[in-house]
This record gives sequence, C-alpha cells and structure tokens, in this order.
Amino acid sequence: MSALYVLDVPENRPVAEVAARDERALSLRRVGPYFEIVFDREIVIDRRTTGCRHAVWYSSVAGTREARITQWDKDSLRLESA
Amino acid sequence: MTGAPHLVRGVDHVAYPTLDPAATVAFYRDALGFPVVHSICAVGWGPEDHPDFIHFFFDIGNGDRLAFFYYFGYEPPQRGVKGDVYARFEDDIPDFFVASRHLAIHVDSEADLLEYRRRLDDSQWPVELQVQHETIESIYTHDPNGYFVEITRALRPVTPQEDLDANLTIDALLDVLRAERPTMDALLARKAELILERAADWSAPNVATGVSPR
Repeated sequence: MSALYVLDVPENRPVAEVAARDERALSLRRVGPYFEIVFDREIVIDRRTTGCRHAVWYSSVAGTREARITQWDKDSLRLESA
Repeated sequence: MTGAPHLVRGVDHVAYPTLDPAATVAFYRDALGFPVVHSICAVGWGPEDHPDFIHFFFDIGNGDRLAFFYYFGYEPPQRGVKGDVYARFEDDIPDFFVASRHLAIHVDSEADLLEYRRRLDDSQWPVELQVQHETIESIYTHDPNGYFVEITRALRPVTPQEDLDANLTIDALLDVLRAERPTMDALLARKAELILERAADWSAPNVATGVSPR
C-alpha cells in the first residue's frame, strides 16, 4: 500500500491534516515524529487548503512508499501509487 | 555516528579575497557597524612571487570573524559575466548555482534584523530581498566584492525531530548517490524505508502532536 510521510513540525501539520481528509486516504498514524498517511491509488493535497506558503510547501514531504509524486506545484501535491 | 566528542566551537574566521578594501571597509565597518578586530600586514610572505598583503578581520558577533585578504599589486583577470571577484562565470551558468554560495549571519530578533535592514538601506548596498520563510526571516544583499550576504533570524527554535529528519535525509542521500542517476523520487523512497526502520522508536519528551489519527 502506498504511503506519504510528513515530519511533525508545526508548519507541516496542515499538510498531514489535509492529506488525511482525502477520501482515498485509508489511515493516518504516527511513526515516531512522522505522520504516515496510507492511501489507495492517488492522493491530492491542495496547497491553499493547507495554508502553507511556498518554502514549507516545497519541503513538506519526508518520504514516499510505493508512490511517486506526479504533481508538486503552487496548487497541489499529487501522489500516485507506483 | 562515531561517538567522538563534538569539540569545535563555531567559526573562528572565514576568509575571502578582496580587490577593493576601501569599499569592503565601508560596507562591513561603516555601514553594518562590524568592528575591525585584527589585521596582519604581511611582507615578503612565502615564495618570491607572493605579493605583500593585508589580512583583516571584522567581528561578526559571538567571537566569530569574517576576514579578507588584500594583495598589493595583484588583480586577477576578470573572466566571465557574473559572479563575484573570486569566482566568475559565463552566462551559461544558471543564477541559482551562482547565488548558492553565501554567508548567513545570525541575529536574535526582528528588531535586530530591521536595524541591519535600515543600515544597509542607508548605504550604497541596500537590501535586495527580504524573505520570510515560515521558519526564518532573512535579508540579502551583495557586498562590494559581489559576495552574497544574508542576515537571518529564526522564527522558532529547531526541534529535535528536525535533527532526526536531517540525519535520515543525509543517509538516504548517501544511499541514492550510488545510483547512476540520483533523483528526488529515489531519495524520498529510501527515506521512507529509513523512517520505518529508525523513526518508530524515536521519541522526544514534551513534543505535542496536535493531529490525532482518524
């Protein structure tokens, strides 16, 4: 199953929260100081919904498991199962 | 981890050449207010073709120093169209690479940052850029030698988990560099493996999570 990892620092929390609200998100759990968001096939995070400005937005992904990033621009971060 | 004690205590000095010591003093001492704290007048140094030079130092706080060399009678040919007096590049080298090497000097507060902004804006070298990333705020300019200088303040302390994350990033990078063509995709995949191997048992006291699992 595909997963996205986000480090738990204050600026990143909205990224994990918005990701976990995606209907394709299957679970949100902690792995040490990281959030792990497991998802099915695809997940899309809308930057404006997160409230992140650009510096944090473009450094908010800590890791990806069985997934690749297919969009990461000022609008959205999209990951697809790989 | 080697386990060896970490004994060093910051920057003693970093040294750059200058072709224009008058402007360098005007920028660092007179505009920014960095005291001159040391200088060496070296005559007949080294091999016969070594020019006489002045090696002079500015206090950049915390006991750390920024130093310059001025060599009498020596001016290297200025090849290239961009860069600084030490490193020149032709137009085919992208700006992100040219601007990557810089010196960042720390201040403790917004008031202190704005004080240096005022000093620079009153000088011949006004602030070119003021940026507030979410975790730091910085001002930038180029000194008279073309060196890129940043003055920065932290908006919050670095957390223990960021140190862990930095180490996982570097270990993942070292792993993916063995591939013929390292990519960010490969790094993020390797880092996820390291998170699962090494982060699960990590804990820092008094770090609230804020987000609860569904």
